[in-house]
Amino acid sequence: MGTKRFILNAARTAKQGQHINIGKEYPEYQAIVNTLTMNPADMKSLGISSGATVRVRTEHGETTFQCEEGKVPEGMLFVPYGPPTCRLMGGETDGTGMPTSRGWEVDVEPVDTNPTS
Amino acid sequence: MAAQLGGKVSCTLGEVKNRADFIVYWGSNPADCHPRHLSRYTIAQKGRFLPRGRKDRTVVVVDVRETKTSNPADVFLQIRPGKDFEVLTTLRALVKGQPVNPQLVAETGVTVEQLQDLVDRMKRARFGVMFFGMGLTMTRGKHMNSMAILTLATEMNAFTKFVAMPMRGHGNVTGADVVMRWTTSYPFAINFSRGYPRYNPGEFSTVDLLVRGDVDAALVLGADPGATMPMPAINRLAGIPTIVLDPKVTHTSRLARVHITTATTGISAPGTSYRMDEVPLTLRPPLRSPYPTDEEVVRRIHQAVARKPDWLTAHSGTSPIAQA
Repeated sequence: MGTKRFILNAARTAKQGQHINIGKEYPEYQAIVNTLTMNPADMKSLGISSGATVRVRTEHGETTFQCEEGKVPEGMLFVPYGPPTCRLMGGETDGTGMPTSRGWEVDVEPVDTNPTS
Repeated sequence: MAAQLGGKVSCTLGEVKNRADFIVYWGSNPADCHPRHLSRYTIAQKGRFLPRGRKDRTVVVVDVRETKTSNPADVFLQIRPGKDFEVLTTLRALVKGQPVNPQLVAETGVTVEQLQDLVDRMKRARFGVMFFGMGLTMTRGKHMNSMAILTLATEMNAFTKFVAMPMRGHGNVTGADVVMRWTTSYPFAINFSRGYPRYNPGEFSTVDLLVRGDVDAALVLGADPGATMPMPAINRLAGIPTIVLDPKVTHTSRLARVHITTATTGISAPGTSYRMDEVPLTLRPPLRSPYPTDEEVVRRIHQAVARKPDWLTAHSGTSPIAQA
């Protein structure tokens, strides 16, 4: 199981927005912010299937996500904002007051490649 | 910050609904993030000067991936991540008829022909609007990207009417900016410690103050930095007396020393909310709440603080350094 470099984008989704207002302590919200979307070809190259767990690492921290297949460009990952993305974010704001929250270079490594087996 | 660098030509969403025949969404996916934006103000609406609604409007989406918003668009430009500034400055050159290098443009993921076609369409429009989201403002370049799109909108006014507007998220984030602007002249990152407002993003902004450990107490009002800020800032909030005013249990309320449950503004508390076009709207709550409003709690905290002697009087005759 190798490590592959991706560009990670933290984004917002309608479902995430709904569950923010329902309550962040519920499992539905936790599942949304812990699931990243990956191109099927990238999943194949990492040797993982939908539902697999991957470890995502930046220079600032690391966390794990469940993977799901989606219509995103190869080499890019999308994940809804939430506590897991906070662990990957650095505190530097480049003098703007806003930390960079998209377009991070991350290393992805499979942890559990085939959850159904 | 971008508006300070490049100026800002804007309008209300009512004008967009009634007049905008050319709509650009740049780094923004309102179909997911602002679901009522498309139906109330842009694609689905018939306007006073656009009686055929969708048929009278051209919709362009610029993004790094296909989204629910790009599907119904007339033109979709899929650019490479981190190339927004390059595409915007190329558009500015093409608008002015300046030569551009096709090889350098190709690195952005789109061709000169695609961008020239976009510029031609923009110049033919009667009223153009560019909405830009976090895909532009939160990626590499940040406020310089925003400055580039605001400047493009300004320069387009040499040919036709054009405006640009950020797609603001969260409840009343625009209100915080607007009220701070008309009370202090600055939108955010304001330091009142000398008794008058001082402004310096990167120095007095919340994330920077927390990460550097410059603050020893925090009042969080209607926000959840525990689920949005970088970990070093969250760790600092957890280590100092943090007070949270929020109707719900949040990640921040869990790490706070004090959580005061308040009524939900707009549902069980009145107030004013600013729309993303900076139009203030009065909120009329349909329900009553047993909890106090944010305003009541802040007012009571302020009154309690005002009853205490100020720091200098309380420590008169002693050295501030010795006290520290």
